[in-house]
Amino acid sequence: MTQIVLELHLHQPWRLGRFRYLDLGSGRSYFDIPRNLEIFRRVADRSYRPVLDRLLGLVDEHDEFRLSLSVTGTFLEQAREAAPDVVERLQALVGTGRVGLVAETYFHSLAFLLPPPELHDQVELHRELLRQTFRQDPRTLRMTELAYSDHLARFAEARGFRAMLAEGWPGILHGHSPTYRYCAVTAPTLTVLMRHFPLSDDIAFRFSSRDWSEYPLTSEKFAGWLGATPGDFIGLFMDFETFGEHQPADSGILEFLSALPAAVRRHPDLAWATVDEAAQGPPRDTVASPEIVTWADERRDLGAWLGNDLQKSALEAAKKVGRLVRLAQDPELWTDWRRLLTSDHFYYMYVGGNPADRRVHQHFSNYPNPFDAYANYMNALTDLRRRALAASGHTE
Amino acid sequence: MARATAFKAPASGVPRLSAASEPPLHIVMVGWEFPPDHSGGLGVHSYEMVRELAQLGHKVTFLLPEDRPHLDVPGVSFRAPGDALDRPRRPGVEPLRAYVSPETGTITNLSEVADFYNTWIAGLADLGRVDVVHVHDWFGTVGGTALAHREHAALVVTIHSTEYDRSLDHPWPEILHREEHGIAHADRIIAVSRHLRAQLIDRYGAPPGRVRVVYNAVRPSGPSPPPDRRPPTVIYIGRLAAMKGIDTFLKAAARIAPSFPSVQFVVGGEGPELPHLLHLAAALGIADRVMFLGRVSEAERTHLLSQASVFVLPSVVEPFGIAALEAMAAGTPTIVSKTSGVAEISANLFRVDFWDVEEFANRIAELLLYPPLSRTLGVQGREDALREGWRERALETVQVYREAIHDRRTA
Repeated sequence: MTQIVLELHLHQPWRLGRFRYLDLGSGRSYFDIPRNLEIFRRVADRSYRPVLDRLLGLVDEHDEFRLSLSVTGTFLEQAREAAPDVVERLQALVGTGRVGLVAETYFHSLAFLLPPPELHDQVELHRELLRQTFRQDPRTLRMTELAYSDHLARFAEARGFRAMLAEGWPGILHGHSPTYRYCAVTAPTLTVLMRHFPLSDDIAFRFSSRDWSEYPLTSEKFAGWLGATPGDFIGLFMDFETFGEHQPADSGILEFLSALPAAVRRHPDLAWATVDEAAQGPPRDTVASPEIVTWADERRDLGAWLGNDLQKSALEAAKKVGRLVRLAQDPELWTDWRRLLTSDHFYYMYVGGNPADRRVHQHFSNYPNPFDAYANYMNALTDLRRRALAASGHTE
Repeated sequence: MARATAFKAPASGVPRLSAASEPPLHIVMVGWEFPPDHSGGLGVHSYEMVRELAQLGHKVTFLLPEDRPHLDVPGVSFRAPGDALDRPRRPGVEPLRAYVSPETGTITNLSEVADFYNTWIAGLADLGRVDVVHVHDWFGTVGGTALAHREHAALVVTIHSTEYDRSLDHPWPEILHREEHGIAHADRIIAVSRHLRAQLIDRYGAPPGRVRVVYNAVRPSGPSPPPDRRPPTVIYIGRLAAMKGIDTFLKAAARIAPSFPSVQFVVGGEGPELPHLLHLAAALGIADRVMFLGRVSEAERTHLLSQASVFVLPSVVEPFGIAALEAMAAGTPTIVSKTSGVAEISANLFRVDFWDVEEFANRIAELLLYPPLSRTLGVQGREDALREGWRERALETVQVYREAIHDRRTA
């Protein structure tokens, strides 16, 4: 029996408004709240609402259907403002008991690159948010952009998690299959669940690509591929927005999703499982990853966020401001600073790379170029630094 | 592909056109300014273009309005009214000299000089076979048209800037008329940017099928010492003309000067706006923070551009903006106004509305404050600026010549 683990990730960042050098000290908000909510409403119309409705229908129709969700804190903040009905739908779906929740950093941040206790604090904030919103205590952890390393595995185990998600990248699997349970060399009680990236990306990236030899992808064909894949489980981890936003509704992606459980049912060796269910059972082997592996770009490293001088210097500057913010102990400063740690801001500063990766980056950016993204970010951070200095009573 | 191959072939000597398929051309280029005596992009463009054309194996005769000292270019014959070749044939005719007003730096007898030049061009008789007459801007259009007609040669006109732009929409009818004359009679028109091309079509009625875009380029400079940016300087270099928007630069400088006490603002170049700009700097309270350099030599210009922390080109209109390309080639982060032609060939610069003083101030401040930003923009901008050189531009120009010759023959 091979379990299908469908894990959908819901996230929206608090995008910055234009915060210019001359806005330093003006008291203006760094974040363009109306624009963020407008984007949220648009994505809710195209994706969150219709897809959640379909998922509720699927859970109702198919007793065996299971899925898992990761929902960031910034997503829920925006959802409450922009589309409270989306939160209600999520609660209803989780309330069916057939959904596994996945914890991560509240701010979908790069906190795992910061000195402790920031990562711990942000994961605990998120855990608490999930408890309050969904009355469920997550047992599985993922990091931003599926970042994974031996060090992060140890962190997850120490925080009491049973499982952690990772990219099933040949660079760490060394010829082994991503469809088996592994345990981390550094964390023997932690099960590592790997993303099956070819099958995940067939949906997430290739579904509507007309020059793909398998186009069009039907749920029968896809279920056939799943049925022919041996292993403990198949990790289909992707953005929730794949359905209706990255792949638009007129591509037939919603119908594909709706028809998938029925197509899977024709394969008696396949079953659906949540992340927690998939993590039960003995691991086949250990996995080691001294370096951080992510699910992004061709190189699966941190290059998308920390590949160039702009990104590195922005993170270094953010770290320094973080020390001042900790000293200041002002909740407003905390929130602004943590929102600035959201990985999306760094992603917008990406320069170069291969053309395919650059297109993906540009697609998700709200800046005309990485230099605007960097200058804007640094202005906001410089302003925050001044506020933190003032609040902590320190001088430069 | 052919272009790239030609560019990468210096080891085997300068690539020459194969005589069988593409016979070398005789190009008569009607010039105006020429190094070392030039004040803008036109002189640089003329020099680099004839140099490349001659290296490609073409015969170039370059006409100048006055017999002045100029850089020599191997393979290019220079001609001017009253020169050694001219004098014996026109006894008694003294060439008319331009009179440059010491107050304004502009030529006061421009119309007469242009008339004299055009008459001389139209009367040139000893040129041999001519394939192309290539005129720049407006000053030689009437004579160039007549010469091309008489020699059954194709007429190509390159427009570097228009009279509407130079006069900020108050054109001098006489110059406008000469410009229109060239555009109306040219077999092909070359614009130095897409932006300018659109203007030639919209405002001058140029037939779109006849207007090609050939950008300017820069010559890669040799290895230079790493810039010592102490004190940091923010610089404009170019003609001090109204269309250059230098007011905006000074106002932006005034906006941020108090927050950057160690930064030096620099204005290099000369022109009619100088008195106004001096007054403005004083009125803005930054007279002690702005250095007006006056005339800047080629060597000084190269040095200043490479040592600057930021180069600013805030032009109200800027058909191309070769100084910005030079700054980028020197690895200096660059801010230009949105309408600048140079912004069409690179995304690795900041683009600002020419009137937006605050935004210029923001961008300057950001480049001064965040070294990784200015480093990255500098490196990427340099790559863009040097990706293609004058060789590519000359090959594109020859392509336009061949189109024009083809049209002239089949007309």
